[in-house]
Amino acid sequence: MIRAALPGAEVEVIDETGAGDHLRATVAAPQFEGLSRIDQHRLVKAAVKERFEDGTIHALSVRTKQPQG
Amino acid sequence: MVVNPLNVSRRSGHLYNRPMADTQLKEKVEELIADNPVLLFMKGTPEMPRCGFSMRVVQVLDAMNVEYGAVDVLPALQPLREVTAEISEWQTFPQLYVNGELVGGADIVNEMFESGELAEALGVEQPAERPQPPAAGQTSPLQIE
Repeated sequence: MIRAALPGAEVEVIDETGAGDHLRATVAAPQFEGLSRIDQHRLVKAAVKERFEDGTIHALSVRTKQPQG
Repeated sequence: MVVNPLNVSRRSGHLYNRPMADTQLKEKVEELIADNPVLLFMKGTPEMPRCGFSMRVVQVLDAMNVEYGAVDVLPALQPLREVTAEISEWQTFPQLYVNGELVGGADIVNEMFESGELAEALGVEQPAERPQPPAAGQTSPLQIE
């Protein structure tokens, strides 16, 4: 879902509780270039907004990075 | 002029079911953000944080040795979520504002603290030590009028 919203993104999602609703995502996307961290996080959160709204996800901890190279 | 923020929601009647943020509350929040160069919206107070994420940001700010205003969001959590969603497209707390701009929540503040970006944003020296638990009585929480 994050990859669909941010083409070219490297995404790693860890299920923190094993229940699938508390997730930790590390995202590196070319779209992040030149954005503040808060704007990078906004992009990621916007990508998964639907899953929050339908209750699939309760918590998402986000870490954003610029892609390597 | 300190008034419990709950008064705001009582005056507005069906605030909790309304899609739009409360205008008066929004104005007050904007005022607070403009008046406080470093402002933290948190659950609880710096002396008694009521959430681990809020506590973490308090620890970081105390380690930075900066003066900051703190607003306890718990008495008006849902109205404040609606207000901050409109102001800065963010509705989870804590939220740290520096010079009128949302810097981030606990994840971002922590990352920026570790990388030294937060010290830069605050215009202070990066502290040499890891943040310690906050000492009581350093900052007094602001109340939303």
